[in-house]
Amino acid sequence: MTTSVRLGADELSRCHRAARDEGLAPALTVLRSLVLPGLLPCGPGGHAVVPQEVAAGAHQVWLDGVTVDRSATDESTLDSIDLPGGTVVLLRHGIGERGTDVHAEQRASWALGLVWLRLGLSEALRETCMRYLNGRRTGSTTLLQQQMVKSTVADGLIEHLEVRAVLTGADAGGLPEVILSHLHARITAADRWLVNLLGASGYLTGGPGQVAHLSELLAEAYVRADS
Amino acid sequence: MTALEGRLVSLRDQMREWGADFRRLGLALDRDPELVREHFDLPAVRYLSTMGIPPEYGNVPIPIAGNRFYGTLALERAIIMEELACADVGMLVASPGPLLAGVLVDLLADEAQKEWFYGRMLDAPLWTFFALTEPDRGSDAGALTTTLTPVPGGAVLSGEKRYVGNACRAQLGVVFARVGSGPLGINAVLVETPAEGFKAEALETIGLKGARISAITLDGVHVPAERFVGRHLSPSRRGMWAFVQTFNLLRPGVAAIALGIARAAYEYVTENRTSLRRDEQDRLDLLGRRIEGARSLVHLAARAVDARTSDGYLASAAKTRASQLAMDAAREACGFFGVGARFDHPMLDKLVRDARGLEFIEGTSNMQKLNLFQGLFTGKLDRDDPFRVGVPG
Ligand SMILES: Cc1cc2nc3c(=O)[nH]c(=O)nc-3n(C[C@H](O)[C@H](O)[C@H](O)COP(=O)(O)OP(=O)(O)OC[C@H]3O[C@@H](n4cnc5c(N)ncnc54)[C@H](O)[C@@H]3O)c2cc1C
Repeated sequence: MTTSVRLGADELSRCHRAARDEGLAPALTVLRSLVLPGLLPCGPGGHAVVPQEVAAGAHQVWLDGVTVDRSATDESTLDSIDLPGGTVVLLRHGIGERGTDVHAEQRASWALGLVWLRLGLSEALRETCMRYLNGRRTGSTTLLQQQMVKSTVADGLIEHLEVRAVLTGADAGGLPEVILSHLHARITAADRWLVNLLGASGYLTGGPGQVAHLSELLAEAYVRADS
Repeated sequence: MTALEGRLVSLRDQMREWGADFRRLGLALDRDPELVREHFDLPAVRYLSTMGIPPEYGNVPIPIAGNRFYGTLALERAIIMEELACADVGMLVASPGPLLAGVLVDLLADEAQKEWFYGRMLDAPLWTFFALTEPDRGSDAGALTTTLTPVPGGAVLSGEKRYVGNACRAQLGVVFARVGSGPLGINAVLVETPAEGFKAEALETIGLKGARISAITLDGVHVPAERFVGRHLSPSRRGMWAFVQTFNLLRPGVAAIALGIARAAYEYVTENRTSLRRDEQDRLDLLGRRIEGARSLVHLAARAVDARTSDGYLASAAKTRASQLAMDAAREACGFFGVGARFDHPMLDKLVRDARGLEFIEGTSNMQKLNLFQGLFTGKLDRDDPFRVGVPG
């Protein structure tokens, strides 16, 4: 296993941009290679959302800070979903016997990186909504120019800005878990506002609506408190 | 809160009992929406397959506590749909029957069209479809562009429809298209499939997989003149007016489906968490009260459209409230099962995915709010008696 780096502003920005510009799987690949190289990252309940290549290649499982051999735990694959940027897989590991040697620094980096990653996905959703709405007409104008629509885009943007404000200047470990959990909840709220703006097109598999769905599942898997 | 009459209570209880089959099959249907084909013999599927057909066309539904319910009233449908959606919304929307198309036929079709349509539906369980939305026009359905071009003996239909429930497996449906410009230039036609030039392909969705929403292409589909719905009516009664009225009648049922999903989430918690902390119990109680409140609204909105078809703005309030509640309830329920709830409880994951679709069916919350506002603004809403139930003055 290669060693992980402590996530600084540059690394966090890489995760954020990869999510915004390339998609879920590429962003998870970046975050995982920075923080948990070679490992299969699982949350406190043993749940994982990982790119297919990560699921295929890892020999060791990282269970919320504790590393165990992959062969030592029961694993089930729950789903495999094709998205822009690559396929992601949903897994569940038995959490059974765990060591006590918790890697607090990795844990903090992974947790902070995930918030940046989900923020990037949500901002990409906002941009997708703007394009979609600008391309649809009602009467003599576009859907984007409807005041109710503008208001909803703004609601999403307010969530993004608050999350970004809290993240600004924060290092791994600098924000307590409850705050990170709150940020995840705000991102989920933004996604819900925004995804409705895509109409039924956001309800189809393989598109931006499903990315938002997977982003929620990421929080569900890795974040302890309700988000 | 207005109590349900005894006969409607027995309808509700019967649907609840029949719903047990839907609950049992829900997750399997979510994986394979065609599974419903093996279950046409279930009492709830049989009931839905003729729901909405009036008795004079030969509908003889199974009696429930000595009554026959034809499902021709919005309130009856709201009760039925809440129960069956609570059991499993996927099975409900996957079931064959006249539903949306049937309401339009009931409202607008002439005698011969009714005989033909209902006759087909009574012969065998058939899926029907109701094709309004287009790839470029959803909320602004009045601006639809699919064309009906006259030819000797009828017309040909050309254009595209999108997100149409069950179209890929239906044998019968209605398509809205344009014969001229403006709201009066819209006409609904009955289409039988397979037909030359008609193609419908299922779209994969995140939830409500049983609905098999489909993309339709219409490439010169021939429609005989006798299939023009409401040909005995004036253009102002069969065009855009027709789908507005149809939606008014259907909307309480859609709200009830959302309510059923919310209740399913609530019941999942009560059935799977035996002891709750004080704060959890408070949260669950609050959710329960929200469901009760929404149900009162749905039922009175249904009674209102049964009394006056044009009073659909009340149902817009009900649908907006209930679709939001479905989302909130499904998410809230996950919070009772800790980290990874949706991985470990497939039913919760399904409820969240299904709930999301209710926002769009029959018009989004924004469009419902605009319709509700319009009802208020144009003075339709009676301040003293908004549901017209007869409040002493
Ligand atoms: C499960 C499911 C089943 C369906 N079944 C059928 C069916 O059987 N038959 C059928 O014809 N269609 C069906 N639909 C399609 C449904 O009716 C449309 O999705 C819906 O009308 C919205 O249209 P749209 O998806 O094109 O969204 P758009 O119209 O593109 O709307 C995008 C966003 O803009 C908002 N918006 C649009 N116009 C305005 C405005 N003027 N003011 C403010 N906000 C606005 C909307 O609220 C939405 O948030 C179904 C959809 C789903 C998801």
